[in-house]
Amino acid sequence: MTEAPIDDVWIRRMNTLQLAVAGIIIMAPVVWMVLSSFKPSFEVTAYPPTLIFSPTVENYGQLMQTTPFFSYAVNSLIVTVGSAGLGLLFGIPAAFAVSWTRISWPAILTLAARMAPGTLFLLPWYVMFRQVGLIGSYTALILSHAVITLPIVIWILLPSFDNIPRSVFEAAQVDGCGVTRILWRIALPLVGSGIAVAAILAFVFSWNYFLFALVLSNGDTKTLIAAAFNFVGEGSTQWGALMAAATLIALPPLILATLVQRWLVAGLTLGAVKG
Amino acid sequence: MPDAAATLTEDRQRLELTALSAPAVLFTVGMIAFPVIYTIWLSFQSFSSTGKPSFVGLANYAKLVSDNEFWHGLWVTVALYVLSLVLQLVFGIWLALVLSHARRLSSIVRSLFISPFMMPPVVAGMMWLVVLDPSLGAANYILTSLHLPPSDWLASPTWVIPTVALIDTWQWTPYVALIVLGGLQSLPPSVYEAAQIDGASPFKTFQRITLPLLLPTIVTATILRSVDLLRFFDIIYITTQGGPGNASNTLNIYGFRVGFEFFNIGYASALMLTLTAIVFGVVLAFNRLRGAVAW
Repeated sequence: MTEAPIDDVWIRRMNTLQLAVAGIIIMAPVVWMVLSSFKPSFEVTAYPPTLIFSPTVENYGQLMQTTPFFSYAVNSLIVTVGSAGLGLLFGIPAAFAVSWTRISWPAILTLAARMAPGTLFLLPWYVMFRQVGLIGSYTALILSHAVITLPIVIWILLPSFDNIPRSVFEAAQVDGCGVTRILWRIALPLVGSGIAVAAILAFVFSWNYFLFALVLSNGDTKTLIAAAFNFVGEGSTQWGALMAAATLIALPPLILATLVQRWLVAGLTLGAVKG
Repeated sequence: MPDAAATLTEDRQRLELTALSAPAVLFTVGMIAFPVIYTIWLSFQSFSSTGKPSFVGLANYAKLVSDNEFWHGLWVTVALYVLSLVLQLVFGIWLALVLSHARRLSSIVRSLFISPFMMPPVVAGMMWLVVLDPSLGAANYILTSLHLPPSDWLASPTWVIPTVALIDTWQWTPYVALIVLGGLQSLPPSVYEAAQIDGASPFKTFQRITLPLLLPTIVTATILRSVDLLRFFDIIYITTQGGPGNASNTLNIYGFRVGFEFFNIGYASALMLTLTAIVFGVVLAFNRLRGAVAW
């Protein structure tokens, strides 16, 4: 019996060591990105690379002066909030109806968008939006990004609605409550946390989405992610500003994801895994 | 009379339920179902320089079969897919085992692990572009400090696919690990007690007990990653746009460029429908496998 604890301590140490190695590999490039964004311009491309330097915000200043970064951010916010809102508006009642009726084809239909390559939709959208003069409009961007947010909302809320005991609804029905009233008055308050997770993940994935804005936006409606493509082209020698842009673009999804980290994996796998 | 009243409320209920799902269904039909059907129609068309479509039958598909760039794109897609998937599963299962021994995951450790796959893939690409720069990047500095040969990474036609696979593995291994961890935590502890009594070694326990029981979870993770990996776009488009030359020209990148750089919408439609068929085929195949390994 005296051997086991020593063995345990050794295993625990090996485990901590492996965890530390994984943590370093995961964080090192992110730390490097943030460090580079605060380096003076002559030091960011120094070789050998420097770890100790006097930090400056000149890269951020340069980014704001040489690019319309702020208006790109506003565009991103409009498209992201718009598409997440549209996803919630359509997705909440749909998830409730699917949970109630057990007729799942509407939910499965939205999954097609999760599986098919985005270019498959982008080709006909481009032709269609061009015909009605919507290329470059917020409308086209919000509608296309809602294709991303809708399945996220539906598949995160489905298990939440499923978890409400049926007797709660039956009692309301006896009192003469219609299905729509049951949704708004009874079910919705019970799935508050599910809606928060759905809203945040819809926001994150809409914010991060690259392909649609690349084609459907124009100079006035360009989102940050689509603009990042231009930053890379122009920034080949301006690493400091490039890394400042990368840091700022990554910040909103990272902050939001931290808020819902506990429910993240179950939400991301669209119900395939409970974790 | 009560029967009639019941039917009335039932009709009303059905009507309300239809109304609740109608916006989502109409949106999906308008934005997904109809456009896909339209794409099928587009794939049978050829567009003149003035943008006038003319029916060309299966010509776009015939072109695809004889297009070297298509077969090259298919090869790049499959190579990137297999390499990334294997790396992410191996490292993901390892990381899940390590995490499962930690007594509990503090929220700081958890935040750290989710940050790679919660940041935009485009940002991951920008970040690695700087780290992996052939002449000034930190990665080559570390390699030469360790007396290892430096690499051209994304700028090398030979190494671009493994490099992109490494970037994606960096980004998505923690995700695979968290899925597998969920599977590990749902395994019945009783099977381990039995193995412990029999004096099985940790490796034997893993090989004979953990791995087979974990298989359904691993297949689930495989399906979720397959969907993303087969239509790989963001990281490649931000770093190489399919280059150097055409070394990282996946089918999705190739289709996008045919459609929106050369404006050959008809042929791009045929390419994208083919890629979609491949994705759905792989997902269906793994879905069957999941049924076969379930316990």
